[in-house]
Amino acid sequence: MSSKEQPDVKVDNNEASEASQKTHFGFEEVRTEDKAERVAGVFHSVASKYDLMNDLMSGGVHRLWKRFTIEISGVRPGHKVLDIAGGTGDLAYKFSKLVGDGGQVILSDINSSMLNVGRDRLIDRGVNNNVQYAQLDAQSLPFVDDTFDCITIAFGLRNVTDKDLALRSILRVLKPGGRLLVLEFSKPQNSLLEKVYDQYSFRLLPFMGKLITNDADSYRYLAESIRMHPDQETLKNMMDEAGFTNTEFYNMTGGVVALHKGIKP
Amino acid sequence: MDPSIYAAMTASIESVINTALRYDPASLQKIAGISGVLAIHSTRPALTLYCCGSSDGVRIATHCESPVATQLSGSPVALIALLKKPTTLANSGVELTGSVGLLQRWQAILNELDIDWEDATSTVLGDVAGPLTAKTILGGLNWTRQQSAEQTRLLKEYITEELRVTPSKPELKIFNDAVSAIKMDAERLQARFSQLLDTDNLNARRSSEHNQKDNSE
Repeated sequence: MSSKEQPDVKVDNNEASEASQKTHFGFEEVRTEDKAERVAGVFHSVASKYDLMNDLMSGGVHRLWKRFTIEISGVRPGHKVLDIAGGTGDLAYKFSKLVGDGGQVILSDINSSMLNVGRDRLIDRGVNNNVQYAQLDAQSLPFVDDTFDCITIAFGLRNVTDKDLALRSILRVLKPGGRLLVLEFSKPQNSLLEKVYDQYSFRLLPFMGKLITNDADSYRYLAESIRMHPDQETLKNMMDEAGFTNTEFYNMTGGVVALHKGIKP
Repeated sequence: MDPSIYAAMTASIESVINTALRYDPASLQKIAGISGVLAIHSTRPALTLYCCGSSDGVRIATHCESPVATQLSGSPVALIALLKKPTTLANSGVELTGSVGLLQRWQAILNELDIDWEDATSTVLGDVAGPLTAKTILGGLNWTRQQSAEQTRLLKEYITEELRVTPSKPELKIFNDAVSAIKMDAERLQARFSQLLDTDNLNARRSSEHNQKDNSE
């Protein structure tokens, strides 16, 4: 399930300057410049079977998480939407239906393999009127200020090197009143569920990865990167500090996943 | 409740409706032309579903940022009963707020719904077994509906004619007519009586005035 955005994850996730030498690749500590390549490798490796693995790993529940995200987005005909770390285009497909011919959706990802899969998939589904594709880095979005009505980043923020920088970049390109939706794995709210989830993530997930894609390491990294991601409250505070207002989050499936929402003032 | 559960519920309802609508292109086209959000609010359990039309069919959500054009509010039983017999809201237990026009459009689509079940079953079972199965199922449903209506009629007759627990409709009408006639007669009698009293009082007053005049002379 996870993402494809900028591949680097830091423990403290805030101080880019301090962590410029060392950072985390899951639980492993690596040099920053090495990690970018290694995580890119993860997503190049899983891209072709990304959808299949998503369905298998979540039992199809990732579709419900995304469905709820669409509901909360408030996207209407004519809106401009940016889907960061859009991967195989699940959200972009729905958004393209909502915005209509008068709107615009940009499906973006930092990983070319994931973006290619997403583009092929949307074209195969007949979407060619209002969706554009861009390979970009969430930390430095190449758009003018106040461009988008809604920006989503689903299962991607945890892989961004400097999350604060990315949040500020997103804030800049959002229109005033526009909203950011961050769909991401988070901290289960029940201790029993957390234990089951740990067992599942660290034992079953790599096994399934090995079975389906012959790549257990990539899925082990995904499980580890989820643990390194800020919990619900921390991410909410980060959004507040970046300048978003009315920030709130919705726990889904017992907190396994959380949807954070913030509005640009 | 967990948003995933609501999402699963709305996704299932939406999927069933839209799959059926694929076999009624005319209704699908009409639904695509509907603008405006219809909110269906269940009072207990408290839950609101937002419905709107799209080119893919009906879109159902538990959250809606767009303004609601029409809201139906009531108990789940009342709302389902309304769905089965969408002719009137009177005494249905369902409260309507907002635009009636939007509701009428949905109502018209519901009344004219004509799903090609034979086509639907043919897709799954093939060209021979599909239509046969559809005919059998539809025939069975019609028979059940007729039998249900017949059983209701027979039960009514048994209660009124055999058990004599409740009066029959004609008896009730005769009784009601008799009560109405008595009521009318009583009102007429009261009016006549009042008129006589007024006349008597008037005569008495005139007689009194006449006597006073005579005495003074």
